[in-house]
Amino acid sequence: MANLLWLQGGACSGNTMSFLNAEEPSACDLVTDFGVNVLWHPSLGMELGDNLKKLLNSLTSGEMALDIFVFEGTVVNAPNGTGEWNRFAGRPMKDWVADLAKVAAYTVAIGDCATWGGIPATAPNPSDSEGLQFLKRKHGGFLGADYKSKAGLPVINVPGCPAHPDWITQIVVAVATGRGGDLSLDEFQRPKTFFTSFTQTGCTRNMHFAYKVSATEFGQRKGCLFYDLGCRGPMTHSPCNRILWNRQSSKTRAGMPCMGCTEPEFPFFELMPGTVFKTQTVMGVPKDMPTGVDKAGYIKLTAAAKAASPAWAEDDIFVV
Amino acid sequence: MPSAVQTLDISPVGRVEGDLDVRVNIQDGVVVDAWTQAELFRGFEVILRDKDPQAGLVVTPRACGICGASHLTCAAWALDTAWQTEVPRNAILARNLGQLVESLQSLPRHHYGLFMIDYTNKNYSKSKFYEEAVKRWSPFTGTNYEIGVTISGKPVEIYALLGGQWPHSSYMVPGGVMCAPTLTDVTRAWSILEYFRRDWMEKIWLGCSLERYEEIKTYDDFKAWLDEKPEHANSDLGMFWRMSEDCGMDKFGRGHGQFVSWGYLPHEDKYQKPTIDGRNAALIMKSGVYDGKTDQFKLMDQKYTREDTMHSWYDEPGGLHPFDRTTIPTQKNTTNMAGQYSWSTAVRHEENGRLEAGPLSRQLIAGGKHGESWQHYDPLVLEMYKKLGGASVMLRHFARMHEGVKLYRQAEHALREFKLNDPWYIKPTERDGRGWGATEAIRGALCHWIEVKDGKIKNYQIIAPTTWNVGPRSADGVRGPMEQALIGSPIRDVHDPVEVGHVCRSYDSCLVCTVHAHDAKTGEELARFRTA
Repeated sequence: MANLLWLQGGACSGNTMSFLNAEEPSACDLVTDFGVNVLWHPSLGMELGDNLKKLLNSLTSGEMALDIFVFEGTVVNAPNGTGEWNRFAGRPMKDWVADLAKVAAYTVAIGDCATWGGIPATAPNPSDSEGLQFLKRKHGGFLGADYKSKAGLPVINVPGCPAHPDWITQIVVAVATGRGGDLSLDEFQRPKTFFTSFTQTGCTRNMHFAYKVSATEFGQRKGCLFYDLGCRGPMTHSPCNRILWNRQSSKTRAGMPCMGCTEPEFPFFELMPGTVFKTQTVMGVPKDMPTGVDKAGYIKLTAAAKAASPAWAEDDIFVV
Repeated sequence: MPSAVQTLDISPVGRVEGDLDVRVNIQDGVVVDAWTQAELFRGFEVILRDKDPQAGLVVTPRACGICGASHLTCAAWALDTAWQTEVPRNAILARNLGQLVESLQSLPRHHYGLFMIDYTNKNYSKSKFYEEAVKRWSPFTGTNYEIGVTISGKPVEIYALLGGQWPHSSYMVPGGVMCAPTLTDVTRAWSILEYFRRDWMEKIWLGCSLERYEEIKTYDDFKAWLDEKPEHANSDLGMFWRMSEDCGMDKFGRGHGQFVSWGYLPHEDKYQKPTIDGRNAALIMKSGVYDGKTDQFKLMDQKYTREDTMHSWYDEPGGLHPFDRTTIPTQKNTTNMAGQYSWSTAVRHEENGRLEAGPLSRQLIAGGKHGESWQHYDPLVLEMYKKLGGASVMLRHFARMHEGVKLYRQAEHALREFKLNDPWYIKPTERDGRGWGATEAIRGALCHWIEVKDGKIKNYQIIAPTTWNVGPRSADGVRGPMEQALIGSPIRDVHDPVEVGHVCRSYDSCLVCTVHAHDAKTGEELARFRTA
């Protein structure tokens, strides 16, 4: 039995909604089959009677064990570092987070807001938001670069806007079943098992990428979204095309460019004019290359791809 | 002599539009006054200022993870009207379908996850339905709770076929949609809908076929349906209705009796050249304002929208139209019930004042004879409203669930009407201008205003259903709709005032709340509980 507490700061509840789409295991399975004792969650309907504050206090005092502390949403610091723009149970939420993180065996940040600040931290970051242990790429965040939970791990970051339900449930189950020690994390504290391959890995448009056939506008079944429409699939770490969304598809399969939402910079370029759904280029060459490819290599690669491109690559292959 | 007033502070109540706190004053076991406070400010309007005109397509679905498709719909139509695009027929259908499946998802998720668990509260242990309620609706372990919460993920699989994922896709763009589904996608979508209908809507929720339910046209028809077979009476709908009556849920939660809907689902053949003024005549589900006191209907128009800020934490003048707002948050958000006490503005109609948004509003307006003759018409809920003496916790929730069969039929319509070889997108020309996009999220009227100047966003404003419903008092002192609806609620146990929760939840505000009950004299905390 593992006690889990899930709180939301500057959040939209999108990660909770994503979590509720889970199957194998479902949210109910976590409770009935995997021994996760959900102490409190903003929308899972646990009745607490008179006891929410008592419960929180019994956790912060150490009277009751907090095995997994899940946080969704940003830590709001405004105004002037007080956190009063996000109050919860009579105090700034950030004060609850500070107290609970001290006693948690594992602290898990779910979604971009809790990991790096996400959309609320977009310039000018009006709510003075940050993630638990990062603000964008900058290590530190609300809890500080040296933070370790009682199990000796830093915050486990499960990014994404939202995070995929399977990424969430699998991490919760791993921790609840004593496999927390098996988790290995990358430089941004993301579980490597999910965030080492690329969003492009498994994309159905890969052949069009290889032959440099571009989808120049939306509503097309053929073409790669990288060259013109701003897709970040080749330089974003996520399993979106391996572990499909809602058991059916992925954004790039459906025709929507990847926006790089598992990376700390999301939303890229702070959404400044001219940057949305448009590949940023310098002299016709993309500013952001596929990971590890340099400019000279890219020019050779695409020239060769164009030269080798078969005639069929310009036709629809996903026909009605 | 009346007894002393007790004050209950309910904190926090909000999650989607922000955290919400509620204070109620109780006298002789009944709520006599109420204040609702939005307690989270993220500043989406501030973030969008000076950004790419299309930034709203990325940012606004993330304002709310629960009705992101509705935000995306508004963001796309707002840009369509600003850029004067042409939107192909297929794209209108694909946008409608995305919005519809998000709403279908929300029916069981809200019904079981947020609403029905309250019926297992000890407050109702004397009801003859209590034992069965506990068996079906207890959190996690209830037989129908588990079925309902799990199956709620099904309809949005169709959203993933169109937009790649739910929540938080941005597949609706000015000029159409990003996707171009194939026959496989359409067939899968049909199959997902059928599964949802067979395994939950008919089997668990209605206890009959959709066709049988659609025969219900009047309140008498509904009562006859309830008595017709044990399968109907014992369905989750039948049980909800009978237990609600048994526990008095039809007796409180009245409100102002004034309702608003932007209308929704533009017809695929009537809104291909979208304009702000042309929207009302293009909608399958008509817009409207319904005055329950005079029984009058009229169309809703965005130009009448006003936002008062006298009791809100903004340093800007009140009474403005959203196009004229600047969104300047107050730095020190001290709570003062006589002064400022909420991040929500007080939204009102310039002529009709404070209006309630939500599924009940939609269903009442569906019973009006205003609008176009071809538009959707369904007088059932309006008749119930009149015969049952106005709005209540029960009727508000019934209206939400009643819409399900109609949403299902519209989803079928979209799938049937796709012409797979026709265009899904017509590339627009970017230009400066003002735009407005609206829809009905499952929980009510949602709209976005955008002003694009010099190729970037000059002003972006959102009014969500929760802004209408949980707003504080307006400048003239009139309570917000939810503040008003709380008045008259009986509180049987101040240590566990679940009735306050019923009212809040009947608005489907997706509010997560904790109630602190304070003794009016000593300030001692009496109770604290969740209301959503």
